[in-house]
Amino acid sequence: MNGQGLIKGLAITLKHFFQKEITEQYPDVMPELAPRFRGCLRFEFEKCIACGICVNSCPNDVLSFETEKRDKSKKKKLLSYTIDFQYCMFCNLCVEGCPTSCLSFDHDFELSQFKREDIKMIYLRPEGLDEAQDSPADQEEQKDKEQKQIAAMLKALQKSPQKVLSKLLEGEEDINILSELIQSDQKTAGKIAELIVKDKEKAVKVATGFINKDRKNRAQKGENGEGGDKDV
Amino acid sequence: MFNLAAFSLYDAVFILIAGITVTAALGVVLFKNIIYSALSLILAFLGAAAVYFQLNAGFLGVIQILVYAGAISVLIIFAIMLVMNRPAGESNLSSPRTREVFTSATIAAMLLTALVAVIGFTQWPLGGRPGPDNSTGLLAELMLGDYVIAFEAAAILLLVAVVGAIILAKGGENQ
Amino acid sequence: MEPLFINLAEAFTGWMISLGLDPGWAEAVLLVVKWIIVVTIITVNIIILIWLERKVSAFFQERLGPNRLGPFGIFQTIADAIKLLTKEDIVPSAADKLIFKTAPMFFIVVAVMLYTVIPMGKGMQVINLNVGLLFFISVGSLSTIALLMAGWGSNNKWSLMGAVRSVAQMVSYAIPLAFSLLGVVMITGSLNLQDIVLAQDKWWFVILQPIAFITYFIAATAELNRGPFDMPEAEQELTGGAYTEYTGMRWALFFLAEYTNLVAVSALMATVFLGGWQGPWLPSWLWIIIKTYAIILVFFWVKWTFPRIRMDHLMSFSWKVLVPVSLGNILLTGAGIYFCRWMGWC
Repeated sequence: MNGQGLIKGLAITLKHFFQKEITEQYPDVMPELAPRFRGCLRFEFEKCIACGICVNSCPNDVLSFETEKRDKSKKKKLLSYTIDFQYCMFCNLCVEGCPTSCLSFDHDFELSQFKREDIKMIYLRPEGLDEAQDSPADQEEQKDKEQKQIAAMLKALQKSPQKVLSKLLEGEEDINILSELIQSDQKTAGKIAELIVKDKEKAVKVATGFINKDRKNRAQKGENGEGGDKDV
Repeated sequence: MFNLAAFSLYDAVFILIAGITVTAALGVVLFKNIIYSALSLILAFLGAAAVYFQLNAGFLGVIQILVYAGAISVLIIFAIMLVMNRPAGESNLSSPRTREVFTSATIAAMLLTALVAVIGFTQWPLGGRPGPDNSTGLLAELMLGDYVIAFEAAAILLLVAVVGAIILAKGGENQ
Repeated sequence: MEPLFINLAEAFTGWMISLGLDPGWAEAVLLVVKWIIVVTIITVNIIILIWLERKVSAFFQERLGPNRLGPFGIFQTIADAIKLLTKEDIVPSAADKLIFKTAPMFFIVVAVMLYTVIPMGKGMQVINLNVGLLFFISVGSLSTIALLMAGWGSNNKWSLMGAVRSVAQMVSYAIPLAFSLLGVVMITGSLNLQDIVLAQDKWWFVILQPIAFITYFIAATAELNRGPFDMPEAEQELTGGAYTEYTGMRWALFFLAEYTNLVAVSALMATVFLGGWQGPWLPSWLWIIIKTYAIILVFFWVKWTFPRIRMDHLMSFSWKVLVPVSLGNILLTGAGIYFCRWMGWC
């Protein structure tokens, strides 16, 4: 019969009239977001290895970073990481590509800013990250290497102290005094060797300190045979 | 003749209505924009309806509004809009040809004479009382009783006119 | 509670006569006061009604609707009204200024005039006209002119298009509208709305005249230019029809008039088909309000359920379905009345 559809339609709207409203009262009540909701893109500086996969995978050129060659390794040092968020289309490709999972989407979706420039998120290298930033495996390797270097240095020091120390110190006398010290005292030798490998300047200072102390000792021994032990 | 003491609210209302109606009727003729003419024609119709109401002829007044002000005038405006082919501001100018002016003036004068004569010669039953309260029933009895032939004839005439209009508008069958 | 307003009116007249006013003039002043009260109530009621429509439409779509200003957002309409009042009044430079400015006023005046004859309670009416029902129909048909004026005065093709459409629609639907009321008039034998109400003390006319009720409802929806018959002001294709060029308070007047018409038509439906102010327990003026609002809610329900109907379907529906059906209803009613008399039931 004609008009049946009309009554059906009226029934449907009436049913909806009594159903619960689905409106989210957003600013008053925060919406419940799904776990994998893509809100704001976050970056963890510590985890980044500056591989550039994220930059290559981004279709909109949102991501960019600056690096610097690291002193003693071939690895790059990350200086800053920039997310120009206005172009992001939340495709998740960068997050999927990141090998160390330093990129992630969080649930913050209130991203509007008053100025266009404020949309850009720039992560600068945090202070004092240089040591901590290396990965654990890397640090182990570094330590191993250092240990070997120290051992080699120690050997060289004990074998021919004058030759090694001539690179460190100036003045024939100082070198002679220190080489004597090294040969007589294992501990001093170890310390000097370690310092030479790690930090040359410090090694120079420490070495000069040792030499001066030795000189003093000798001078006191000359004047007063007993007083020397006090200062050692 | 004019007695100020007998001047009542009733008279004041009549004068107001009559003034509006006559002004509107003059506007129909004098406006240069034909849309304005049509709209003042509606106002004149409404004024006539108001006069009917004042004479306690509510049914007539309502029919005046329904048929003339509500329907006929809308049709007139429709027709004007469909056929108007010059700027609205000069769509209702008086004809520049003297012969036409003369003809229409003659016809108007004749109509005026006839109306004045009718008004003058008719014996108006001025009882000082308004018409019967329930005029609708009386009208119905007259129209569908005493004057049923005229009523039906008018109905058939209108039907024929409508059919004729449709045939004219659609165009005859090409045979 | 029942004679509250009648007593108030009588007290007011008595007070004026005691001040030395002629009883005839006191009657006239009372008429004006009644009118002012009716207009005030209409305006305030519209504010509630607009809020109600927004709320109801929201519920139909499982939304919340306005809920920011005041409890349940009840002050939203007032805020909107203030906004509309303070908006710039723009009259297009190419518009026919006189017609453009008169149209909304004419529309609202015509809409308010409808309330003169509606019985709002036992013996409560601005004027008890003998031809009240016919007055309602005829004055209602005048709003076409206001729309035509708006469409023409705007000097904009969308406006004119919308105006022409709405006038064509309203003129076509006025016929089934009047015809569907004729059945009721035939049973009652009167065009007086109080008589029609009193004739329904046993049976409401919605039971005696179900076809007329439905045809009247459909025709009234079209006459009100409400959805699904809101083709003339279709925002999506006519950018608002005749109201396109109107801004601020002039536009608000049209809006106000549309809702005024809605209330008036619903009140007339309640009067003619649902027993008017008659009802048990509650005072009569409360009954008419309840019934009117029930019908208004049905209008909302229909509007927010059905999609807009195409213009040619709309016209052919009126001429090919509604007019024959309402004519058939008149025939049926006449036959029924004679059958009743023949059986000696009435």
